Amino acid sequence: MFLTRSEYDRHVNTFSPEGRLFQVEYALEAIKLGSTTIGIQCAEGVVLAVEKRLTSPLLEPSSIQKVVEIDSHLICALSGLTADSRTIIDHARVETQNHRFNYDEPMTVESTVQSICDLALRFGENRKGEEKMSRPFGVALLIAGVDEKGAQLYYSDPSGTYTQFHAKAIGAGSEGAQQTLQEKYSKSMTLDECQALALTTLKQVMEEAVTTSNVELAKITTKDGKYKIYSKEELEVIVSTL
Amino acid sequence: MDLKLSPFPTLEKQMPIEHGRFEAYVDNGGTVLAVGGPDYCVIAGDTRMSDGGYGIQTRKYTKIFQLTDKCVLATSGMQADTLALQKRLKTMLSHYQKEHGKPMSTPAIAQFLSNTLYYKRFFPYYTFNIVAGIDEKGEGCAWTYDAVGSHERVKYASQGSGNQLVIPLLDNQVAKFNQQIIAGGNVTSQQAVSFVKDAITSAGERDIYTGDYADIVVVDKDGVHWEKFELKLD
Repeated sequence: MFLTRSEYDRHVNTFSPEGRLFQVEYALEAIKLGSTTIGIQCAEGVVLAVEKRLTSPLLEPSSIQKVVEIDSHLICALSGLTADSRTIIDHARVETQNHRFNYDEPMTVESTVQSICDLALRFGENRKGEEKMSRPFGVALLIAGVDEKGAQLYYSDPSGTYTQFHAKAIGAGSEGAQQTLQEKYSKSMTLDECQALALTTLKQVMEEAVTTSNVELAKITTKDGKYKIYSKEELEVIVSTL
Repeated sequence: MDLKLSPFPTLEKQMPIEHGRFEAYVDNGGTVLAVGGPDYCVIAGDTRMSDGGYGIQTRKYTKIFQLTDKCVLATSGMQADTLALQKRLKTMLSHYQKEHGKPMSTPAIAQFLSNTLYYKRFFPYYTFNIVAGIDEKGEGCAWTYDAVGSHERVKYASQGSGNQLVIPLLDNQVAKFNQQIIAGGNVTSQQAVSFVKDAITSAGERDIYTGDYADIVVVDKDGVHWEKFELKLD
């Protein structure tokens, strides 16, 4: 792909003669540089596990946050250019709160993902009164949530496409991790088993050993529809069993 | 220097030409009420449309509007505003259905109507609404509104010109407020229907804006069931 580079990779709104949008494809490449992120869904809920790359021992681990709240029933883990995710998360938070204001009910998972993808697709667009987006987002998201359809896991990428998954790995170690998930996942798993699978899979693809400061773990349960991001102490208990 | 008073002008004072003032609102009258049960909701509304005075413009104006198969809107007040409101809700409901892939739930409609009314806070729809039906749990429910969106979830409600005649009846028979002898047990939907018929007939007895016919609507898990019921024509 890089060898056939031509004038057609200059603009986000110009197709190449082969019918490709190179900037979007490059954005998809940017995700493959991101830290590994894993999401697994079962009947009881969804777990999200993310690797935190600590590039220096002087770095403060708590200043990196890779799992964020969208609403009380929706969380999301990110991989890629994390700065881009700020725009997306902010958009999603506004949308879900607006939905609560208008209809006095939580927004469904799919509708939220759809509205995130609507935003992701606005690159190269010229909307009146809106800032022009110069390029596609360089970030992919795993969105976990609970609604009347139960617990769901969605993957959304810079092209504005979204897909529902039972288990999905994104980021640098995604190829190996996805392979492991495919082999080990079964629909009848409990949430604790999903949690263990997510962490062991993450452990496999990580260069360093899993500690309480270089992974982030979160879950959302079908039962109460609420999310939980694990604290260092809670993580300690789980990591020690690995 | 002498100050002189100028004489008062003898010309007749110029007055602006009087036109009939534009009236944005007219009260077309009518009574609507709703009673929620454990797994059903009964809604009634008369079909008389008055001209704001003694005249009747039509005897067959239905005040109840089906929003979904679990929810209806009963409105008294001004007919034109009622139609505008119904039209607006209908389009927004179809928007919601397409965007979220499901019909709007009754509690969601209740909140949405409140917002819709409040957005017109400074030129309100002259409508007095009841949203009624069954909620996600299948329980009967009703919300009552003022013209600018203030609302409350209640077990039973009434609105419109016969409101003051109907409400004490509902307080007594549905809520069983301050009674010496209380007949216990849940009321069936058939019992509720016959009670609601009595209530609206009684309103028609004394209120000149209520009469002609009544729509009796029952909402339950099987959908919305309509029935016509005769009231006095005088």
